[in-house]
Amino acid sequence: MKQVQDVYIVEAVRTPVGKAPRGMFNKTRPDDLLSHCMSTMLARHPDFDKNEIGDVVIGCAMPEGEQGMNIARIASLLAGIPDTVPAMTINRFCSSGVQAIAIAAQQIATGQMNCAIAGGTESMSMVPMMGNKVTMNPKVFEDDNIGIAYGMGITAENVADQWKVSRQAQDEFAYNSHMRALNAIEKGYFKDEIAPYTIESRTPDLAKAETIVSTKTVENDEGPRKGTSIEVLNKLRAVFKMGGSVTAGNSSQMSDGAGSLLLVNEETLKRYNMTPIAKYHGFSVAGVPADIMGIGPIKAIPKVLDLAGLKVQDMDWIELNEAFAAQSLAVIGELNLDTDKVNPNGGAIALGHPLGATGAIRAATAIHGLRRTGGKYGMITMCIGTGMGAAGIIEAL
Amino acid sequence: MKNNYTVRKAAILGAGVMGAQIAAHFANAGIPVILFDLPSEGKDKNAIINKAIKMLGKAKPAPLGYKSVTQLIQPANYETDLEKLLEVDLVIEAIVERMDIKKSLYDKIEDYIKVDAIFATNTSGLSINALSEVFPEKLKHQFCGVHFFNPPRYMHLVEIIPTKKTDANVITALTEFMSSTLGKGVVNAKDTPNFIANRIGVFSIICTIYHGMKFNIPLETVDALTGTLIGRAKSATFRTADVVGLDTLNHTVNTMLNGLPDDPWNKHYKLPSWLTDLIQAGALGAKTRAGVYKKEGRDIKILDIKKKEYRLQDAKIDDEVLAILKNRNAVERFEQLRASNSNQAQFLYSMYRDLFHYSAYHLEEIADNAREVDFAIRWGFGWKQGPFEIWQAADWKKVTSWINQDMKDGKTMVQAALPEWVAEIDGIHTAEGSYAPKTKSFQGRPDLAVFKRQLFPELTIGEKSDYGTTVHEDDDIRLWHMGDGVLIASFKTKKHIVTTGVLAGIQKAVKIAEADYKGLVIWQTTEPFTLGANLAPALQAVAEGRVDEVEDLVNTFQQTSQTLRFSKVPTVIAVRGMALGGGCEFSMNATSVVAAFESYIGLVEAGVGLLPAGGGLKEIARRTSEDFETGDLYPQIEHFFKLVAMAQVAGSGLEAKKWKLLKPCTDIVFNSHEVLYVAKEKVKWLHAKGYRAPAEDQNIRVCGQAGIANMKMILANMMAGRMMSPHDYEIAVRIATVISGGDVDSNSRVSEQYLLDLERKLFIELIQMPKTLARIEHTLKTGKPLRN
Repeated sequence: MKQVQDVYIVEAVRTPVGKAPRGMFNKTRPDDLLSHCMSTMLARHPDFDKNEIGDVVIGCAMPEGEQGMNIARIASLLAGIPDTVPAMTINRFCSSGVQAIAIAAQQIATGQMNCAIAGGTESMSMVPMMGNKVTMNPKVFEDDNIGIAYGMGITAENVADQWKVSRQAQDEFAYNSHMRALNAIEKGYFKDEIAPYTIESRTPDLAKAETIVSTKTVENDEGPRKGTSIEVLNKLRAVFKMGGSVTAGNSSQMSDGAGSLLLVNEETLKRYNMTPIAKYHGFSVAGVPADIMGIGPIKAIPKVLDLAGLKVQDMDWIELNEAFAAQSLAVIGELNLDTDKVNPNGGAIALGHPLGATGAIRAATAIHGLRRTGGKYGMITMCIGTGMGAAGIIEAL
Repeated sequence: MKNNYTVRKAAILGAGVMGAQIAAHFANAGIPVILFDLPSEGKDKNAIINKAIKMLGKAKPAPLGYKSVTQLIQPANYETDLEKLLEVDLVIEAIVERMDIKKSLYDKIEDYIKVDAIFATNTSGLSINALSEVFPEKLKHQFCGVHFFNPPRYMHLVEIIPTKKTDANVITALTEFMSSTLGKGVVNAKDTPNFIANRIGVFSIICTIYHGMKFNIPLETVDALTGTLIGRAKSATFRTADVVGLDTLNHTVNTMLNGLPDDPWNKHYKLPSWLTDLIQAGALGAKTRAGVYKKEGRDIKILDIKKKEYRLQDAKIDDEVLAILKNRNAVERFEQLRASNSNQAQFLYSMYRDLFHYSAYHLEEIADNAREVDFAIRWGFGWKQGPFEIWQAADWKKVTSWINQDMKDGKTMVQAALPEWVAEIDGIHTAEGSYAPKTKSFQGRPDLAVFKRQLFPELTIGEKSDYGTTVHEDDDIRLWHMGDGVLIASFKTKKHIVTTGVLAGIQKAVKIAEADYKGLVIWQTTEPFTLGANLAPALQAVAEGRVDEVEDLVNTFQQTSQTLRFSKVPTVIAVRGMALGGGCEFSMNATSVVAAFESYIGLVEAGVGLLPAGGGLKEIARRTSEDFETGDLYPQIEHFFKLVAMAQVAGSGLEAKKWKLLKPCTDIVFNSHEVLYVAKEKVKWLHAKGYRAPAEDQNIRVCGQAGIANMKMILANMMAGRMMSPHDYEIAVRIATVISGGDVDSNSRVSEQYLLDLERKLFIELIQMPKTLARIEHTLKTGKPLRN
């Protein structure tokens, strides 16, 4: 078995992101969104023998209901990947998508396989946050673990309190996220990563007792709001805490979407004459207290930089998932990140946050963004519910 | 017109505030309704109407009894949808008050009205006969006026106005529909400017302003004197004007000025210049956030007429006047007002005198009899008594002589002799009926089938109710019947609170009913149904360390609920108005419920630091188990948890049923005066079909500790978000524990008595906590909840 080899990314695609629960994908299944990404990637390599795919690793934060039943396996079969290729669904909440890339990359790096697909998918329209059946272990309330019971909004309020992030700063951050996202859409910056999706809707024709099938192709993210302004954002009420600062406007949006990447080793790259778009450089996760889960990246980012032997200044593009403006600003402040390099195309406050898919989606954004701007290193990082942070590094080629 | 007129579907023309809210009330009543307006430009031709429907969910007070009833409102426009009118049995036109615009609409709809449909115009300013003139010839007999008051769901009054050509059956059918299906108080009016309520009500405002200025009474004092203190709406005179809209008020006054040239009071039909100046300046009242009053920061300021600016209020009522107004003897009260030298007393006396004078002078012209006038004012303006009733209570003959004397002395607003009949009668309302000047007789109530459903309708001052035959009566309860085999229990306590006497009375009632009657109805002769249990003795007992006594009391409460549940004969709770706490628990446990649409029901014990321990939480757990033989119990338990922990009160009987506080077998009745009738008929029907009491449930599936943990998660977040206090948490955790069946394995099976014991045990824990005691004490003292 060949030990430690480089891992290249040859494809990184994603669907547009829809709003949940009342957006464009609210009746589109998450397995359909995912299989669309995978088949779009594979269609670009007609000569590639799909039997060579060693594994399909898919992240999903609430893997139940429509996205239960090992959605990785179902979506890969729907995408026309042969049944000889195995698949698994993995879950580390909001980092699941980037965790899936790491698992796939590590399997290639350690020589267990030549090629793998990684990705993520989430329909928050169909499976709500915390799942269809919420249950909490009673013991959680008996000791110091109550932080696990807190909703994400409360943890953001805690971070805003402890890191002294003002309401105004949060609203300004949110506004900039929308402006950057709108700018990116207008300039077509997402064109290379988005695989336009044709939504098929089936509505009843009440008069004829028949089904009306209609289709609509979507190619842009649904979240960014053209009309927003700091004033509009200032007017929203704090939703999680009396007198708090976290509002619907400075929090990430609930969303539906999927993304996938094709990862290969050098030998495969050469054999099929594929053009790599990026190289995998490492991934780390770290734990933090659950009641301030939003600071997770503060621990994960130095850890992965150390692993990769790089400095934060080496990063030309940082996709810092905007779970909340409060935690994003705490992370930016604590690590002294260059705000021009953080989310140049906007983040989850504008573009949405389909939990388990976000890591894969934002990896695609970083890779194509770096290639467009001529940058080198990119980072994908996020906080994780119950108190963790994740960060991965890629190098654009 | 068919004898059996039913409205399967209705149409409202005009999606303004009034039109949309009328449509909402039809939807409340379960009637599909098409709401029309002008087509919008652009893609959505029904944009105006859709927006109006959307606004219904936000309006206050809520026009919707439950949010989803808007599904029954279908938007439509005059351009593409007119033929949909052919589907409807009733059209109410509520478009802009202009003859030419109304005419052009009438021309358009001519071919789209069914032969047996009714077309009613909801105008307040135009003559119905004049509108009939421009209404299509072939439909004139189906046309009449109907006048709703704003907001239409809550204002009881609807005036129905026939034209010379309206078919008599149309008026009967519409009266029956408005009264029973929509629950309105119908008054038949003649086609004169402003009909009855606005004619008298607006004159009353004019007359109040006139005398207020004459006696130099500051505006806020006028309102202090003419509100609840004299049995009128809290908004009194100027606040009412602000709510109605000063421009609307002015329009109504002008209708009288222009439409009644021969009226002796004609010269008074104008608002003072300080009010018209406000209108000129765009200060139209509540809708423009400034009128006679203006809210500035936390202060509600009032207009200073001279300085033309808003200033802080400073209402002062003379002690003497206050003492007079508190005198319960109306005859003495009026004598004292007349005799007093106080400007305020003279103001009130003069205001009444000219109102009486005006009402008597115009009675024959505007209404068939005096009852229509007094009810119109009660229901349209929220007065406890109409003008003729106040007059009669103050001694008809004596007041008549005062009016004549004052007129001679030149004190009245105008010189216009009282009609002769005034001197010929001793009172205007009698047991037989109310005076009708045209026939010079006392006219009884209209003989319509639908009114027979109102066993105890609203009465005039001349009428008395006969509350059947007493079976048992003590200080707290009366048990009686009306000769049809149904026992009725009515509480006699203040606000019908549940005392130990009431509990004993209910148990006695069930025993008597089981022996000799078809069943039992619990019904109160007045609203509310009940504000809940009497907490004062419990508070006292805890203070004196007699906790055992409190536990006995709770046990008695629980067993009373169980008695209602397991009674051999059906027990039916007839609710109208508020049914809080124990009242809600009785309705949860009794065989069935008949609730007025305007019922406000909830388990509000958390507000006073307690949990419902009269079998209410037990029923939540029991029914949830019954509703879900398999599967996850938790979502429904959480639904109830939120209602109880937040002490929520349903905004209508319909909402209480949708929330499942009321059983699925509950009947919602729109006219609250029909509740007793329907409840008794329900007992008879249950009896006739061979009623059998349920068996005690020994096999209740509960969600146990998993449920408690989930609810603790909700609470942990609310605590962290400072949305509840630590004591709120203590209360809510105990509520969660009872409805989850205790800290046991999920899907454990428990009995009813186990749940009752749990209820009682945790109630006793709460009532010994100082913060709960503080809440109870505060509420008993102030009537308001304490957050601690």
